[in-house]
Amino acid sequence: MKPEKAQLVIQGLKEAGVDFAAGVPDAQFIEVYKILAEDRDIHYVGTANEAEAVGVGFGAWFGGKKPALILATSGLLVATYHLARINLLHEVPVLVVIPYRGDIGDPRWMGLYKKTTEPGLNAMDIPYRVVSRPEDIVRTIKDCNESARAWLKPVAVLLNEEALW
Amino acid sequence: MVTRFTLLKELSAIVPDDVLVLTSIGNNSGFWGQLKDREANLFHLTMGMCSSTALGLSLALPKRKIVALDSDGNLTLNLGVLGTIANEAPKNLTIVVMDNGNYLGSHKHEPGMPTATAGKMNLEAVAKGCGIASASTIEEVAAFREKIQAALSNAGPHFIRARIEALDRDGPKKTKRVPDPRENKYQFAGYIQKTEGVEILGSGLGGG
Repeated sequence: MKPEKAQLVIQGLKEAGVDFAAGVPDAQFIEVYKILAEDRDIHYVGTANEAEAVGVGFGAWFGGKKPALILATSGLLVATYHLARINLLHEVPVLVVIPYRGDIGDPRWMGLYKKTTEPGLNAMDIPYRVVSRPEDIVRTIKDCNESARAWLKPVAVLLNEEALW
Repeated sequence: MVTRFTLLKELSAIVPDDVLVLTSIGNNSGFWGQLKDREANLFHLTMGMCSSTALGLSLALPKRKIVALDSDGNLTLNLGVLGTIANEAPKNLTIVVMDNGNYLGSHKHEPGMPTATAGKMNLEAVAKGCGIASASTIEEVAAFREKIQAALSNAGPHFIRARIEALDRDGPKKTKRVPDPRENKYQFAGYIQKTEGVEILGSGLGGG
């Protein structure tokens, strides 16, 4: 991932008003996590797994924060039960930002994530947008966060390889 | 050993009104809802989600005391959270784990299946090993009272492992309706908005 693309993700989060983030670092998004960990405007909590990150973000929302979960595509599978729970039972908004592996631009072996990511989000009734162009990163993050808060439910942004490289 | 209800009843008598209490699913939620009907409760935190939710809330509201009423099966599903709590070190957070060494015992007339804590796992030692210095075990009500009062008056994070009986034979009669998760969200978020002056729910029309 090019550093300027990581900066676009951070810019999107900041312009969206996100002030709290949680997640588990992955190779694709490592530059984003490193910037978040040092950022003074966004409190980043590094968790041991992605389900824990869901709980942390969920709790932070009740304290008035605007939380984002920064999850790997594999991590979305780990987070699934708790994400479904806060979406379908509690109805609480969190922005979910995912570097989308297995889509156009990725090797064949990552096809696992193409088969699980969008069907998983659909099964959980979590709306999402797939971003393929770098120029759409900032606006889509802002739009999705706005809708999450208006709808009181998680909304996901999937940034694929075309957008990130 | 003491029962869950005895400890929750004691907590209900001494916990200040403004302390936010988060409860794991099952009888921690059911009993607490009967004992302490108040807006400052967040109920029904599912397996692996009680202490992580309490961590997020304690970081968002660092000046507000937070008590998580977790349980052994719930916590061990997401045990890594203890390391995260130690590293984030929220001074306002107290985790109480009702450790009955048992899955489903709270709903049955006989014990269900053992959790790891019924075997060799010691959650106090785990919490200390994760870096939570203020970690202790209690087995009776006077020690529980003492640990809670100390936790609420001193900087945390605190971890209290309460060894309780496997079965809840002395639970309260259900006379009050515990709010469902959605209803509880509005109550709890509304209470925090009112008492902390933060905006949580927004207008419901976007932009909030």
